[in-house]
Amino acid sequence: MNGTLVKNQLIFDYASGSLGFSKSVFASTYLYLNSKASNINSTFEAMLGEDLLNNDNIPVTKLKYTDCLKNEKNDTNEIYADVSPISKLVGPLNQIKWKQVYKGFKEFNPKVSDENELKLIKMDPGASVPLHSHGGQEYILVLNGSFCDEYGKYNKGDMQINDQKIKHTPIACKDEGCICLTITEKEVIFFGRFGSFLNLFTFIKSFFK
Amino acid sequence: MDKSKLSELMVKVKNDRDQIAFSNLFDFLAPKLKAYFIQNGLSADISEELTQEVMSIIWSKSDRYDSSKSAVTTWVYTIARNKKVDFFRKTAKINVNDDDIREFLYENGDEDKLSRKEAAEQVNRINKELNQDQRKMIKMNFFENKSHKKIAEELEIPLGTVKSRIRNILIKMQRLL
Repeated sequence: MNGTLVKNQLIFDYASGSLGFSKSVFASTYLYLNSKASNINSTFEAMLGEDLLNNDNIPVTKLKYTDCLKNEKNDTNEIYADVSPISKLVGPLNQIKWKQVYKGFKEFNPKVSDENELKLIKMDPGASVPLHSHGGQEYILVLNGSFCDEYGKYNKGDMQINDQKIKHTPIACKDEGCICLTITEKEVIFFGRFGSFLNLFTFIKSFFK
Repeated sequence: MDKSKLSELMVKVKNDRDQIAFSNLFDFLAPKLKAYFIQNGLSADISEELTQEVMSIIWSKSDRYDSSKSAVTTWVYTIARNKKVDFFRKTAKINVNDDDIREFLYENGDEDKLSRKEAAEQVNRINKELNQDQRKMIKMNFFENKSHKKIAEELEIPLGTVKSRIRNILIKMQRLL
C-alpha cells in the first residue's frame, strides 16, 4: 500500500468513526496540524453525510418528535483553547516528563491502553530513531521541529508511514531536533466487534453504485 | 426529500424554532438515523435511544448549524457519528481519566474545514471524473468482489487491460482526494 492510500484510509476511518481511542487522538492531531488532511476529512464527511440519505428507513417504534424538543442539559458551549488534541491528553509539550531511552532520544507513553501503542518521542538535533522492527505499521507525525530520512524532509504536520517493507531511518534535523507523535499498530482492529468494517474503497465504490 | 427542502426546514428550525418544520425533519431523518446505528451493530432499542439524542441535538443546538460550512446531511452525520463513537468509548474499557477528552476529539479543526460548497464540489468532481465504465469496473471489483479475470470475461476485454484500467482509476481517485 502506498503512503497516500494509508493516510487516506486513516482519515476515512476517522471520518467514519471507526478508530479506537489512541488512533483517534493521533488522527485528530494530524487533522489539527495539517490542513490538507483536514480538507480530505471534510470531503469524506460530506460523502458519508450523503450516504446517510441512502439508508433504508427503519421506522422508529416508540420515539416521537416531541420527545426530542426538550432542551439539552445546560449547553456545553465552551470555547476550547486552541490546543492540539494530543496536548489535551498529555498537557503542553514543553512540560512533558520525558524518559531518556538513550542519548539524544527520549520518549513518553501516555497512559492509554488500547490495541495500538501511542507514544511521544523527542529527538535532539542530529539524533536518529533506533532501528526496530514490528509487526504492524508505524505512523510518525511531526509535532514540532523536523526530521529527515532518505526520502526527504518532514516538517510540522507531516506524517510518515513505515511498514515492514520500507525501512526509513529518520534523523532529526541538525538545527532544531523534533518532537513526534507515533502510533504502532499491533493489528488492525476496528471498534471492537461492532466496528463498521468500512474500507475506503468499499465505500467509494458503493457510493457510486 | 431533496436537499434544498432539507436545508429549508433546518433554517426554519434554527431561525423560527418552528416545531412543525422539526417534526418534518424528524419524520425524514429518524428512520435513517436508526438504520445508521443498526448498521453499526447496535440493537434496535439502543439505536432508537441514540436517534433521540441526535434529534434532540438537532433541535436544541440548531444555532450551531452553519449552512455556509456544511450541508445539513454532513452536520447531522457528524452528530450521529460522534454519538456512535461516544457510545462505543463509554462501553469499551478505556483507561483514560479525563472523560472530557471524548468531547473535544471531534471538536477541533472547524475553522480549517472545507466549506460546504467546496466539499460538494469535491464529491461531484470525483463523481464526474469517473466515466460510466470506470464506475462499473470499480463497482464490480470492490463491491461485487469480482476478480480481474471475471471482470475481463464479463466485459469481454483482455485481462491486462482490466488490470491497468483499475490501477489507473485508483490512482485517479487518489489524486482527486
